[in-house]
Amino acid sequence: MDNDFLTIALPKGKLLIDSIQRLSRIGIECQHVNEDSRKLFYDLPQSKVKIIICRATDIPTYVEYGAADLGIVGKDTLLEENKDVIELLDLKFGYCRFVVAMPEGSVPPKHSNGEYDLSGLNHQRVATKFPRVAETFFSELGMQVNPIKLHGNIELAPCVGLAEMIVDIVSTGKTLRENHLLEVAPILEATSRLIANRVAYRMKYERIKDITGKLRNDMNEEVLDVQSL
Amino acid sequence: MLRTNLGQRIPEGMRDLLPEEIALQENLEREVLVLFQQWSYQKVLSPTLEFTACVQPDVEQVDSLYKFFDRDGRILALRPELTTPIARLVSTRMRGANLPLRLCYGADVFRNSSVRYREFRQVGVELIGADQELADAEVIALAVEAIACLGLKNFQFNLGHMGIFSGLLLEAGVEEGFRQKLEEALARKDMVGVERLVQQSGLPERVQELLLRLPHFHGGEEILDEVLDWSSLPTIREAVESLRRIYRYLNYFGVQEYVSLDLGILRGFSYYTGAVFEGYVAGIGFPVLEGGRYDSLYADFGVPQPATGFAIHLGSMLELFPLPSIAGVDILVYGSDPQEIIRLSRALRLQGKKVEMVLETIDRDAAETMARLKSISEVRLAGEEVPENE
Repeated sequence: MDNDFLTIALPKGKLLIDSIQRLSRIGIECQHVNEDSRKLFYDLPQSKVKIIICRATDIPTYVEYGAADLGIVGKDTLLEENKDVIELLDLKFGYCRFVVAMPEGSVPPKHSNGEYDLSGLNHQRVATKFPRVAETFFSELGMQVNPIKLHGNIELAPCVGLAEMIVDIVSTGKTLRENHLLEVAPILEATSRLIANRVAYRMKYERIKDITGKLRNDMNEEVLDVQSL
Repeated sequence: MLRTNLGQRIPEGMRDLLPEEIALQENLEREVLVLFQQWSYQKVLSPTLEFTACVQPDVEQVDSLYKFFDRDGRILALRPELTTPIARLVSTRMRGANLPLRLCYGADVFRNSSVRYREFRQVGVELIGADQELADAEVIALAVEAIACLGLKNFQFNLGHMGIFSGLLLEAGVEEGFRQKLEEALARKDMVGVERLVQQSGLPERVQELLLRLPHFHGGEEILDEVLDWSSLPTIREAVESLRRIYRYLNYFGVQEYVSLDLGILRGFSYYTGAVFEGYVAGIGFPVLEGGRYDSLYADFGVPQPATGFAIHLGSMLELFPLPSIAGVDILVYGSDPQEIIRLSRALRLQGKKVEMVLETIDRDAAETMARLKSISEVRLAGEEVPENE
């Protein structure tokens, strides 16, 4: 761990562009960072920052072990990975929701308040990339379900009889509709977070505090800009 | 019976230590224990197995214990740490000992969840029966010296106090449910969750601001004045002044430059009650040393008394050090007559030499080659020379 340099882990995929924009706006010039170049490691000597690009699900691990001092990652990943890292700031981009969804034809009956009655779904199979989130949600309802861990295309599982329902993240709901799935219960909302290694947060406190403060101010200014339009 | 594939592996989080590796760990441990003894700490050892009722009495708590049953069906656990077993030991067999009591240990602990090692060496101290700030300072100064005596350069200690945050919650009169949620979020180090909880709490703005800033208060003595400017609640003032006295003592101990004040060191769901501290070393992503005051633990064993201490996760930081070369054998003894070989080897060992016996009959050339390969400087013939080309 070089004390002068700060290593920041950014996730491949949809959060990368926003992450790069945010960091560039607060003076960490990293517009040239992108995931298509096959380069996974960028040195930014001017900002005394190193950037590493990795899979979103691995970011909490990199940060927990201190291989990266800071990371940007979705709250969804953070909840599922459950690593020992400091969650510093809600960056408020990459909004998505965790939902329970079922095939349109087999949704459960509704309560009088309009919510679906999930109580008939005990011991059913739930396909998901997030077994931990799914398990927690159902057990808090006093229910028992069987999560089936998949790594992608969760929507497929109910169509072919692998599972009765799915727990997945949705942003617009388009994928659900296309696969004739209906949301039967919201679980929680997630946005991207700035996370820090426990030791880096102490040993590189001033630098991390500076970056956190700048990212926070940058978000506030953005809100003001939108309001003044 | 031929071992299966499983029988040739070791459980996750366990490891074998080869000669250089165990030598390294023992060397480091010896350095630290000599230091502890210089500070008047006496070594004790508690058993590897304890009743779970001792080390984790709260059955609701999610724990990381390795558990077993004894023959009477009672639940046993491998010790996950030494502080609680030592509290049991002091409260039973050492009850009535002269206080304050200074004890130290070096032992393996077992945690069925650790990120890296599930069995690792800990060395630490407990200072029992002393509530003075000087006792806190002594233990912190010893912690700094222990890390320094390992030869580490790039390290840092952060010192906080449990009483400031809990004092604030107490004085603000927050309801139990809120307090619990807040402590849960803090234990998870989920500052976004803390922020959300506080903003939705409806607490006075001043209290909200303080709750949000406290976990990030970090610096020298000036932050203590800053806290007092924010709040003059008696419990907070008491904790702040206590921290100030400890911090000043650290200056007399000559270790203050290594210690930052950090009110964000808050340990949820732990036995700590007062000053708490952590040690960090560049290159290791988690604290290598944890300690603090725990004034209520001894009451749980029926002998209420204050105490403070720390533990170094020695086994988790071995990778920071180069492996030592192991002092070799002095003399290789060879010959053709076992009786002569044994007699000469015994005589040399009585003189304090490290001696290796050649178990088969070889000639001088072969013995010299063997000695060179094993870095043994001297070769001695026992009895008569083996005839060449026998």
